[in-house]
Amino acid sequence: MEDVQVVNLIVRRAVAGDSNAWEDIVHRYNRRIYNICYRFSGSGDHADDLTQEVFIKIYKTLSSYDLDRGAFMTWVTTITRNLLVDHFRKTKQDRVTDSTDAGTSAEEDSLTLGDQLQDSGLLPDEIQHKRQVQELVHQGLQKLSPELREALILRDLQDMDYRDIAIALKVPEGTVKSRINRGRAELARVLSRTYKQVI
Amino acid sequence: MAEETKSGMHCAEFEALLFDAIDGTLATGPLGQFKAHAAACAACGPMFADADAGQRWMQSLAEVEPPKNLVHNILAKTSGKEVRLAEQAGIRPARSAAWWQPVFAGVWATVRQPRFGMSVAMAFFSMSLVMSVTGVKVRDVAKVDLRPSAITRTYYSTQARVVKYYTNMRFYYEMESQVRDLKKAMTPAEGGTKDKTKDKNQRKDTTTSGTPKKDQEQNYARDEMQPLLADASMSRTNDVSAVEQGTRQLGMGDVDGNSIFFTDTTLTDTTSIDKARREA
Ligand SMILES: [Zn+2]
Repeated sequence: MEDVQVVNLIVRRAVAGDSNAWEDIVHRYNRRIYNICYRFSGSGDHADDLTQEVFIKIYKTLSSYDLDRGAFMTWVTTITRNLLVDHFRKTKQDRVTDSTDAGTSAEEDSLTLGDQLQDSGLLPDEIQHKRQVQELVHQGLQKLSPELREALILRDLQDMDYRDIAIALKVPEGTVKSRINRGRAELARVLSRTYKQVI
Repeated sequence: MAEETKSGMHCAEFEALLFDAIDGTLATGPLGQFKAHAAACAACGPMFADADAGQRWMQSLAEVEPPKNLVHNILAKTSGKEVRLAEQAGIRPARSAAWWQPVFAGVWATVRQPRFGMSVAMAFFSMSLVMSVTGVKVRDVAKVDLRPSAITRTYYSTQARVVKYYTNMRFYYEMESQVRDLKKAMTPAEGGTKDKTKDKNQRKDTTTSGTPKKDQEQNYARDEMQPLLADASMSRTNDVSAVEQGTRQLGMGDVDGNSIFFTDTTLTDTTSIDKARREA
């Protein structure tokens, strides 16, 4: 996915104060980080703010990245994940008191699952339907515990190796595999319940 | 999960292989045993089906597009490089500006008007000059009469102390007269007939009033604010270039950074402000 040599060179230049190199890093990773944040937080607005926070953190700690200790991508993912954990802890109370608040998203996640399905019935367009199925999955993902959710996002959306996920999450590899298994199964059960409920 | 052995495989063993089986990395031998166990075990069979379905659900999720301003905002908050590039291109980050725009857009547009900027710059210049001449402390500012006529009075009453400031004072008057000329020169270029009438009235005041300078200077900042507030979306490029030219002639950049600030801001941002207002 990334040429390690090239990335290491860019990082070295950025650490040395080359603003073009830093810009390169932002362009290379903003999409990935935004997607992780979006799928984890469930909200486009949160993802926007969180991604900016992640890059501020990366910018400030870039010199502490050790080229020999692992891929830059894994390091970036670790920072992202740590910030997401902090964000989750901060907003946990809000989620408990207002579980219906899904925020705004790129996929109309302000609508309820039922609304989505009813809408999909009204809009026969294939693309529209696909989009709404994706929205259902996105909302289903939000119903998983954060431990299962983050493991699924990194594995199935970011295509990360489970060994790298273990580094990013600081848990044993067996735990990563187990969380991914449980997360996938749980998601399927959540979605199957949703479909049964509405149809 | 029931700890049973089905088809030569323990349920715990099955679970340990589940990830690799779905990942497609399980060797043929263990895969056969795995499948046999899934078919025979009431607990592991559905678990495998669910995990497999869950993976397919996840993979159906497409990558979402980050907001257009994301990279810009990141760079603005870190290296700050993109800010300068965006200013040159007349782009502003939409979300960060959005919250204050409905509230302050009108006032802000007025403040950015070149003439208002010039008035403020001149007022600031006058004030700092008076303060330095009379040795007034900041907390005494409220007591100081800032009218140009008062400045003249103060000048004569403190002549003994201010001989060394004489050149500064002369420079001030030179600038003031040039600015007045500049304002006059700008008047015909203005759009609305309402404004023209107003300026005509002001000139009339200037000739009839006993204290012309006072009225003119004070009205410039105060009275003109009202029509401009209502008319803020009207960009007057003539004014901008005239003021820019005037600023250069006066060399105000060397004297007072504020005037340069106002001119620059007006030059780079009037179009985007107008655009934003029209969208709003
Ligand atoms: Zn079993």
